Amino acid sequence: MAAVASLFNFILAHQGDSADPELLHWIKERLDSIFGSGPWVVVGIMGFFILAIPVFVGIVYLMQSGRRAAAESAMNLDGTEQERIP
Amino acid sequence: MHAVETPKRTKKPIYYGWYVCAATLFIGFVLIGARNSFGVFVVPMSDEFGWNRFTISVAAAVGVLVNGLSQPFFGQIFDRTGGRKMILTSLIILGAATAMLALTFHILFLAFVFGIVISMAQSGPAPSNTAALMARWFKRRRATAISINSSALSLGGMIMVPFSMFLLQATNWRVAWVGLGVIVLASLPLAFLFLRERPSERGLYPDGDPAPPEDNRGARDITGPLEAETWKDSFRTAPIWQMAGAYFVCGTTTFVMSVHFIPFALENRDVSPNTAATIFGYMMFLNIFGALGAGLLSDKIGGTKNWLALTYSLRGLAYLVLLAVDNLLGMWLFATMAGFSWVASPVLTSSLTADVYGTKALGTISGITFMFHQFGGFGAVLVAGLLFDITGSYELPFAVFGALLIPAALSSFSIKERKYSVRYQARVPTPAGGD
Repeated sequence: MAAVASLFNFILAHQGDSADPELLHWIKERLDSIFGSGPWVVVGIMGFFILAIPVFVGIVYLMQSGRRAAAESAMNLDGTEQERIP
Repeated sequence: MHAVETPKRTKKPIYYGWYVCAATLFIGFVLIGARNSFGVFVVPMSDEFGWNRFTISVAAAVGVLVNGLSQPFFGQIFDRTGGRKMILTSLIILGAATAMLALTFHILFLAFVFGIVISMAQSGPAPSNTAALMARWFKRRRATAISINSSALSLGGMIMVPFSMFLLQATNWRVAWVGLGVIVLASLPLAFLFLRERPSERGLYPDGDPAPPEDNRGARDITGPLEAETWKDSFRTAPIWQMAGAYFVCGTTTFVMSVHFIPFALENRDVSPNTAATIFGYMMFLNIFGALGAGLLSDKIGGTKNWLALTYSLRGLAYLVLLAVDNLLGMWLFATMAGFSWVASPVLTSSLTADVYGTKALGTISGITFMFHQFGGFGAVLVAGLLFDITGSYELPFAVFGALLIPAALSSFSIKERKYSVRYQARVPTPAGGD
């Protein structure tokens, strides 16, 4: 029986390695003590940071457009420096 | 004096491959996060529908099997069509299906949507495929890029799971599933804008390196002696069996701890649940640094197979300490050593597979080796349960699986990397190391 129980525990654990109930309870207690606020505040803060990641990547790409253009013009002037694959 | 005119130097732009890496990191982050969050929904959904834990486990079991078995097939699609279209399509299906779980009304609906649709869609942007994509964009810094990509495994669990918990607390499980679906779909623009199959699509060379001189063009095209055109080619050679065998042991030794570590701490070491959870969380946190460190060291110093052998040795030592030091200190030491080795082995295995077999069939090869890993995990959990039944303790199964790490380390160490790895064939600058 323990083998079967282990299998199903494994399946649930595999679906959520870090979603062990004890660990979740512990994480939630720590976060509650840090934020000390309602769940919506935490959802708002975490959601903002999660969604900010792709925005941040896009901004960095746009900020680099000047450098890319400069590198491309340098390439055109000096074909040996950053020659592109035809 | 003559004024010397210096040419105006412009800073080099960030290599485009790093944007691809950032996109796959975020995709992995939401993908793993959404999958790991399933555990959060078990209790509220079971309460509403009156399902017991066994019933909902069946839905999850279908998902595990479908996900594991579909990996090689998605790997083959990746190899044939390239990653971009497959990953974009998978993300759309994944986001929509995750949101659709809000409509769950019967266990069969959950089993179908989560167990089949979502689990298959997850195989598209799975780490084995995104690592294969990284291998196309990077050669010199391949392990570093794969390690960044792999850190999504830990970050997704660490950030998305608590997020799901609070979302669930703030709303209800139906709204929370929709919220997770929206987060998954939020990765679409990034994937659409930045995912490209290979550097040549952007007119670049791997790692952003400049074009080789005209008389040295062939150097960049040099491949390893075992470069595989199809996955079958690789399975006729020794290194893949050496890596897959060790990867099987990797699966046994990580999954058995995922399931049995906390029960072991509570029952065999009399540790409180909070302390056990703290130690487990600390171990999961360390694996981010283990993965990144393994990638950086492998690229900087070379000798990937040596780092792989060291990783398995470190984990073996961790098992030994866990069994030999019968107190709380032993558990912390175990968590420290095992934590560093947890995700390092997939990073190094993926990198070494790409270095030995090239990138043409890498998606399929990685998908198959990943299956070895999963089978190892499945078998280990069953055997651990059986041995616990017989002996009433986890010590024997832990000793058996810990001992398997010795042949895993030897198997990795005996790979003839210097002979087969492209790093030692092509004149890609790599410091001494290897055999």
